[in-house]
Amino acid sequence: MFKFISAVKKEYLLLLRDKAGIIILFIMPMMLIVIMSLLQEVGWNAIAKEPKVEVLFVNNDGDSLGINMEEGLRSSGFFDVIDSVDHASVTAESARAAVKKGDYLIAIVVPKGVTKSMRANVRIAVAKTLSGFGMFNPMLLNNIAQKGADTVTLYFDPTIRKAFKNAVVSSIKEFNYRSETGMVFRSFNSEISKQFPAYKPAEIEYKESLQFKEVFPNYVEQEEIPNTVQHNVPAWAIFAMFFIIIPLTGSMIKEREEGSLARLMSMPVSYIHLLLSKVTVYFFVCLIQSFLMIFSGIFILPLFHVPMLEVGNHIIALTLMTIATALAALGYGLLVGTIANTHQQAAAFGAVSIIILAAIGGIWVPVYLMPTVMRHVAVISPLNWGITGFYNIFLRQGGLITIMFPALKLVAFFILSVLITYIYRKIKSPLNI
Amino acid sequence: MAERPIIEIKNLSKRYKGSDEPALKDITLDIYPHEIFGLLGPNGAGKTTTISILCGLFAPTGGEIMIDGFNLHNELDQIKQVIGVVPQDVALYPTLTALENLVFFGNMYGLKGKSLKDLIMDRMNVFGLERFAKKKISSFSGGMKRRVNLIAGLLHDPKILFLDEPTAGIDVQSKIVILEFLHEINRKGTTIIYTSHYMEEAENLCSRVSIMDRGTIVSTGNPKELVADHPEFKNLENLFLHLTGKGLRD
Repeated sequence: MFKFISAVKKEYLLLLRDKAGIIILFIMPMMLIVIMSLLQEVGWNAIAKEPKVEVLFVNNDGDSLGINMEEGLRSSGFFDVIDSVDHASVTAESARAAVKKGDYLIAIVVPKGVTKSMRANVRIAVAKTLSGFGMFNPMLLNNIAQKGADTVTLYFDPTIRKAFKNAVVSSIKEFNYRSETGMVFRSFNSEISKQFPAYKPAEIEYKESLQFKEVFPNYVEQEEIPNTVQHNVPAWAIFAMFFIIIPLTGSMIKEREEGSLARLMSMPVSYIHLLLSKVTVYFFVCLIQSFLMIFSGIFILPLFHVPMLEVGNHIIALTLMTIATALAALGYGLLVGTIANTHQQAAAFGAVSIIILAAIGGIWVPVYLMPTVMRHVAVISPLNWGITGFYNIFLRQGGLITIMFPALKLVAFFILSVLITYIYRKIKSPLNI
Repeated sequence: MAERPIIEIKNLSKRYKGSDEPALKDITLDIYPHEIFGLLGPNGAGKTTTISILCGLFAPTGGEIMIDGFNLHNELDQIKQVIGVVPQDVALYPTLTALENLVFFGNMYGLKGKSLKDLIMDRMNVFGLERFAKKKISSFSGGMKRRVNLIAGLLHDPKILFLDEPTAGIDVQSKIVILEFLHEINRKGTTIIYTSHYMEEAENLCSRVSIMDRGTIVSTGNPKELVADHPEFKNLENLFLHLTGKGLRD
């Protein structure tokens, strides 16, 4: 134990004297979190807050359908309806030309008389329905001709995604259905009033009978909507913890290259004890790193008008998850540091492998935004186990039970890494282990 | 010599993975207590490999080794208690001070506390380094680093001390101090096994030498007696060149 403590002290001193290393270990991850959160906040807003899309709107109808459609587009909150450009009213031709030129993404042209046609068609349909009850004289419709379907033309820029295009078309159709439904009600009321003068149609505002509620399924009733910080802070904290592989392997290989390890191996001390002394020091480095990351999320990011990190209510779960992630990162570092022959090998392989594991594990792009195949691949990455555990705490208000599985996987990864390190060392240097 | 060897090497061989030629071929050698034993040879002769195996750093491919009565294969822990190693490289932590380095290495031998610090300061005094105890190794000259490197290997007063070219690349003053100190600890009972390229130094320092070449021992004996046995050579260096040839080595 005494030798172990002395080795820990030595590692601590070596780390403390490496000023550049300390900046890399502690300051750069904090900077990474701030920068990535700020950068992704823009992207996040693009997805979550849906900036308004400018729509050229040509209302040749001038009647209720055109007006309702325009009001509907304006009130949706997704569209900025533009009916004149450079003090000139937009025409069907100018709208088409503007979209073709790429100045606008969408143009909608409502044809002249569309409301009138719709109204006529509705009236015919209502009359035919009421005539079945003997309440309507079909002769009255003799002078009303059935109209064909009118066409509302939508011009789209070719860069618009199909999903967005479908959403716009759906919205237009919805406004149309609403107008048509309103006309049907009014037409019925009008015809019934004619037949029964005593009938006073009630002023009934049509309300949708079906509503949709969007809910993030949490373990408690309080709903936490995830924001960019709640992804970025744990994601980059895990990334930074796994990047401990660079200083850790650097320390291991430097000791080997400078001959200190050979000297130590000629002394009555075991290789595993020396590795554990490194693990101990770098374990605390990981804990401090994650503390600083969370500190950044709570206190520094809000200074940049980025949402504050909500850490949830389960500090013990958070601590255990951090410990498990740190152990997994250190285990991986020991393995790479033992197998790599040179510092260059360890640094290159270590860095690239962490970047790959981070990419597939949902650190850069959350797993739910990945294609289906990549979502299945993501689960092989220890960084994914880490982010899953942190999501459970930060977003789903989960406690010990919810982090148990990802935490156990991380600890198992640590044990497996140490075991492979031991076996490799045993094969490579059977006398000194 | 009637005394039992402190190091017994029988049929030692070593072949590195991927190498065509073995680094050591069937070496048999006895080293006796209180000797200063020199392993001499050109580059690639097998000196460092031999010392590394004796220190337990490499596993031999074949052969038997007994050190102070312990078998290297299964009693390495006991062997490590009685040996000290001064590697060819300056195996110290550059960003730690000399004192921090030596305290750490002393701790690894189980030494601790004030007695260790007193011992370190005493040794540093012998080597003229006491003023630099709290300076970082990175600020030391090559000779100073070599001296600290030497102290680190003998803090625990080992029974057997292995030195791999301890005087390579240092000034004459440092070399004299180191060699005098080695003489002194040898007089007090430490067996020293030492490699060097400096024939004159080995001739003066060693009680016996083995001249190695291409993984084998080509001659063993007291350096003066070896030269005397070959009167056609004026000194050990001439004999060495005769035995190992003048061809350049890898």
